Amino acid sequence: MTPGNEDDLERGGDDMLAAEYVLGVLPADERETVAARIEAEPDFARLVEAWQESLSPLDVFYQDVQPPTSLKRALDARLFGAAETTPSSSKARPGLLQSLAFWRGLAAACVAALLLVVALPFLQTPPATPPAERLVASLASDESDVQYLVVYDSRTGEVGLSHVSGEPVTGRVFELWVAEGSGSPVSLGIIPTGANANLPVPPERQAVISPRAHFAISLEPEGGSPTGLPTGPVLAVGDLRSI
Amino acid sequence: MTQPQPAPHDISKLIVRVSMKDRAAFDLLYRHTSAKLFGVCLRVLSDRTEAEEALQEVFVKVWTKADRFAVSDLSPISWLVAVARNHSIDRIRARRERAAAIDTAMEIPDATPGPEAQAVASGERAQLDSCLEELDSDRAAAVRGAYLNGESYAELAERHSVPLNTMRTWLRRSLMKLKECLER
Repeated sequence: MTPGNEDDLERGGDDMLAAEYVLGVLPADERETVAARIEAEPDFARLVEAWQESLSPLDVFYQDVQPPTSLKRALDARLFGAAETTPSSSKARPGLLQSLAFWRGLAAACVAALLLVVALPFLQTPPATPPAERLVASLASDESDVQYLVVYDSRTGEVGLSHVSGEPVTGRVFELWVAEGSGSPVSLGIIPTGANANLPVPPERQAVISPRAHFAISLEPEGGSPTGLPTGPVLAVGDLRSI
Repeated sequence: MTQPQPAPHDISKLIVRVSMKDRAAFDLLYRHTSAKLFGVCLRVLSDRTEAEEALQEVFVKVWTKADRFAVSDLSPISWLVAVARNHSIDRIRARRERAAAIDTAMEIPDATPGPEAQAVASGERAQLDSCLEELDSDRAAAVRGAYLNGESYAELAERHSVPLNTMRTWLRRSLMKLKECLER
């Protein structure tokens, strides 16, 4: 190697090393060293990512090739054990599951965002009075598209509901329930329609609302369940958590 | 693929859900991206059996390391392709250093990107293309070949009949020029 070459190799330092790693030209031992640095050094990792971003437009030249179907089964066996197979529902109803799955991802993001919006003011309020208990629950189910975010404030005795998605069919209403473990659900009332709603909880029912309890929403005839227990399908459930 | 290609947006959500160990999301992610990632493995490894094994390992990595995506600025597909490329390159580097002979990978022609991919990538690609244009044509070809086929310095040096360190200097200069151009 001539001295001139050496200068060139030194020039650019880590940035060039990052570029060479992304390009893929380094020998195995150097790739290993670089991979370890990516793990350990965030600044270096950013250089690598910047090069990856610059060169990734070349990815369009990779042509799609369908892998054999047996490969996914082998992969599942490797990851989840041979006994387990892909959930049958995903094979039976790919279209529905696909849309549900995408929808759920979106809903989860919405709930997370809502949770922040709802919880932030509470979190920022200095505790002037004895610490009141605030509980939140994200209500959802695989069986329906009904999703609500629920916040209970023990100081006001009110349940606040944020509607995320899902509407009752005509002539039916959503009813909110609280229950602990396998105990009988206690009605907290019919959920008013709209993006946000507040339900005052009668004092004798407030005791049931605890971090050990869960909320559920069932579909009921107008006016609510005639029996005092859920009569229609449970469309969304969620555990209560303290915030 | 008969399924409509989901938006990058949806792929992101699937990766995030996979990081939470959501198997349904993993199945969907596999369905939507395995053909692209298999294409990557096959191109770099140019051996079907080895590419199949690599693809499995790539998805094992995706399952166990999906949380890394959250801290990445890459688009979801670029992130997945990077996982598949790096894994395939690591594999081939280990293999090729045992067998000195140059593989046939470089003989696999470039795939012509579909109209969709072309439209999506046109902005960034146009910039990268025009910056590659500014390099000497053989050096631009070396950059493209290295990226797409996973060629090593040793292989590039042999193909261009130059010493390895000359090749390295050469390519580093090209990369620096490329970076200057991309930053303009």
